[in-house]
Amino acid sequence: MIKYVFRRILQMIPVFIGVTVLLFILRAPGVLPGDPVRMITGERPISDALREQIIKKHALDQPLHKQYYIYVTNLLKGDLGESYQRRTSVVDIFADKFPNTLRLALAAIVIEIIVGIAAGIISAVRQYSFSDVFVTLSTSVLVSVPVFWLGMLLQIFFGIRLKEWTGGAVFLPMSQMSSSQFPDWVHLILPAITLASVSTAYVARIMRSQMLEAMGQDYIRTAEAKGLTRRAVIFRHALKNALIPVVTFVGIDFGVMMSGAILTETVFSWPGVGREIFLAVGQRDWPVVMGGVIIIVVIVMIINLLVDLSYAVLDPRIRYGGAQE
Amino acid sequence: MLSVRYRKVLALLLSLALVMSMAAISGCTPDDGEPAEEPTDDIQMGGTFKFYISQPAFIDPVNLQESEGTQVGQAVFDSLVTFDPLTSEVKPAAAESWESNDDATVWTFRLVPGAKFHNGREVTAQDFKYAWERICNPDNESEISYHLSAVKGYDEMQAGEATELEGVTVVDDTTLEVTLSYAFADFEYVVGHPALAPVPQEEVEADPAAFGKMPIGNGPFKMSEPWADDQYVKVEKFDEYYGQEPYIDGIDFMILADQDTAYLEFQAGNMDFVQIPTGQIQATIDEYGESPDGYTSNPGEQTILGTEQAVYFILLNNTDEVLQDAEVRKAFSLAIDRQAICDTIFEGTRIPASGIVPEGIVGFQEGGFEYSKYDPEAAKEVLAEAGYPEGEGLPVIKLEYNTGSGHEDILQLVQNDLKAIGIESELAGMEWAQYLDKLDAKEYQSGRLGWIADYPIMDNFLYPLFKTGSGDNYSAYTNPEVDAMLEEARKTVDDDERVELYQEIEKKIGEDAPLIPVMYYRHTRVASDRVMDGIFSPNGLFHFESVWLKQ
Repeated sequence: MIKYVFRRILQMIPVFIGVTVLLFILRAPGVLPGDPVRMITGERPISDALREQIIKKHALDQPLHKQYYIYVTNLLKGDLGESYQRRTSVVDIFADKFPNTLRLALAAIVIEIIVGIAAGIISAVRQYSFSDVFVTLSTSVLVSVPVFWLGMLLQIFFGIRLKEWTGGAVFLPMSQMSSSQFPDWVHLILPAITLASVSTAYVARIMRSQMLEAMGQDYIRTAEAKGLTRRAVIFRHALKNALIPVVTFVGIDFGVMMSGAILTETVFSWPGVGREIFLAVGQRDWPVVMGGVIIIVVIVMIINLLVDLSYAVLDPRIRYGGAQE
Repeated sequence: MLSVRYRKVLALLLSLALVMSMAAISGCTPDDGEPAEEPTDDIQMGGTFKFYISQPAFIDPVNLQESEGTQVGQAVFDSLVTFDPLTSEVKPAAAESWESNDDATVWTFRLVPGAKFHNGREVTAQDFKYAWERICNPDNESEISYHLSAVKGYDEMQAGEATELEGVTVVDDTTLEVTLSYAFADFEYVVGHPALAPVPQEEVEADPAAFGKMPIGNGPFKMSEPWADDQYVKVEKFDEYYGQEPYIDGIDFMILADQDTAYLEFQAGNMDFVQIPTGQIQATIDEYGESPDGYTSNPGEQTILGTEQAVYFILLNNTDEVLQDAEVRKAFSLAIDRQAICDTIFEGTRIPASGIVPEGIVGFQEGGFEYSKYDPEAAKEVLAEAGYPEGEGLPVIKLEYNTGSGHEDILQLVQNDLKAIGIESELAGMEWAQYLDKLDAKEYQSGRLGWIADYPIMDNFLYPLFKTGSGDNYSAYTNPEVDAMLEEARKTVDDDERVELYQEIEKKIGEDAPLIPVMYYRHTRVASDRVMDGIFSPNGLFHFESVWLKQ
């Protein structure tokens, strides 16, 4: 097991190099339009003398491999450079934003797991019942609703209409800073529901189909024949086996959420990493783009590793490492 | 118990109801606003103004550049002069008086004695010198150093050959003398830019990053806490302010990512001043009433739609084989139905431009560009006289633009207008960065651009855009007569004479139709019903000194 983890960590190195090299090639002159000096000094014309100084300062006159070497050396020292646009340290920018993204992603994942799995189990266990039809239909609706639209609907309903109907007594904050009378976690409710919506629907559907498949297996019949309670059959036997694809999905989804949810973050003005990187791409703020992508790559790789390791816990047949693999 | 079939139908209906209720929520219309109320004379003190901004780039004057940061900057800092929020005339601020020599090359500013920074130290002339040199220092990579390009020694500092601005002399604590490298009679307007405010050297140097997050200024409001990135900037009244005490206790600049969300917050009563989202202009006017002058907001007259100091135009490359012919450019200009563009695309929130200098600028004149009007018949005649009857013999004109900001919609209408007089054209969209590179290199045929005033003076539209060799002269227009007149105007110290000269210059340039003004921008803002006498200036800055909040 330890050997396996170690090997997986070693495998991260070429992935990491691949990503950084790719990003560097993208910013090479001529690959994407836009003059980097202009990104730094703005749209107004500048003198040649100033231009030269800026090129020197940012090592833009060095060959690409040398720039890469400088970048990686700094990176290993924990320095991701400085934003072209805002002149602040990239590490500081993301140190500000990642906790927000993490909070939102965790809240969304919790909703996704609890609601998605519960709905999936209920509709599988009571196939073709009222609840099954309701789950199947409402997940179809949720999957096809654009996230930003759902977000705005929730804002209008819980932020404005509810406030009107209750004379200002009951409502939810529509953006992170809108109403300081609420404790912090309340601000999470609407964005977390919005972010979780589509994934929850998927989890419910995967869960439903997996459960249905598991319930038809021989070992379930055996368990039932042994005289186990229905509850024990569902939770101890069927669920555990049906969970693996769900865990895979949730794990990947968590990685995606950690890289930022641009639409949700925008609608709810949530200061997360997605928007930061999105804006930086538009402004060709390379240090921010590179730094952000590198941090995300590392996080996603770690999450993937954890997901793989969790399979071993869920399914005793899966063992990592050594000759058994 | 219901039968299985009924339960399925019920589930289906419930799901349907879910979809319908979603649609219903979005379709609801809010209650009518309060009826118009007469502004009262009993001004109430106190209250925190909640002002929507999007994420600023900088709030430190060293790089105060875009509208959002400047909004904060002008509350925290005072420059030498300021502008009247309605007439844009220059007024004293940190300087109580000033004068120039006869040819406007040497300017002397006398500071208000005893004015203090928010850290309690008195503001001196040295603080201006330090702040300006900080902007010009190439290490700071300021995007706005060009404001000071008229000051003697600017080029040397930018080139890294000098560490001080030769032209800025501290005569004594309250006297600042500025020598320019050329005559510039409008320089008093330049120093009114919020970026040219003084900064306390000791605070900047103690921790530059901290200063960037929580600048210490000399303005009516001081920072309450450091700028919370992507969340808010909070300022409060500065008790030792030298000028008139503001009525409000403070301002929360709420940073929201999305103007739709900001507008929802406004409707829920959580915001005092926001941008109106596209498509909501008429609904906002109906509900909140329109400001009579377009700038001042009071209850029931809350929608602000006054002209901004900005203009949108079609760029023509005057060195292009076809477009170097002024007659073709004139035909081009006469062909464009500006009113249709304003009405169909902008819900009437922009107005057709009749010149390059927009309303709200001192010296604005109607019809500054002779050919900036819609007259397709005249356009056809001019085109025929130029040797291209019905557009015959003209190649397809390439209209280039930067994608993603709605320019395509505008240019499609332009394309149709051109077609109507026989000029064929094709659109070519690209990234902003790439587009700018092409404009710079003059490797384009025709394009588009918006120009926003830094200072409310005609020079700001005429000199950079039309002077031979100016870096902003993207149309590569060159006219020795106009060049001489522009120089002459900068030397003309008498205000009325100078404005007259600039008006003449605008007309003169307009006769050549080097580019095609299309429309002037207008504000699209709305204030809450507790905002009293709130003025949103033509320059896009809110006048926090005069506003008060009904408690």
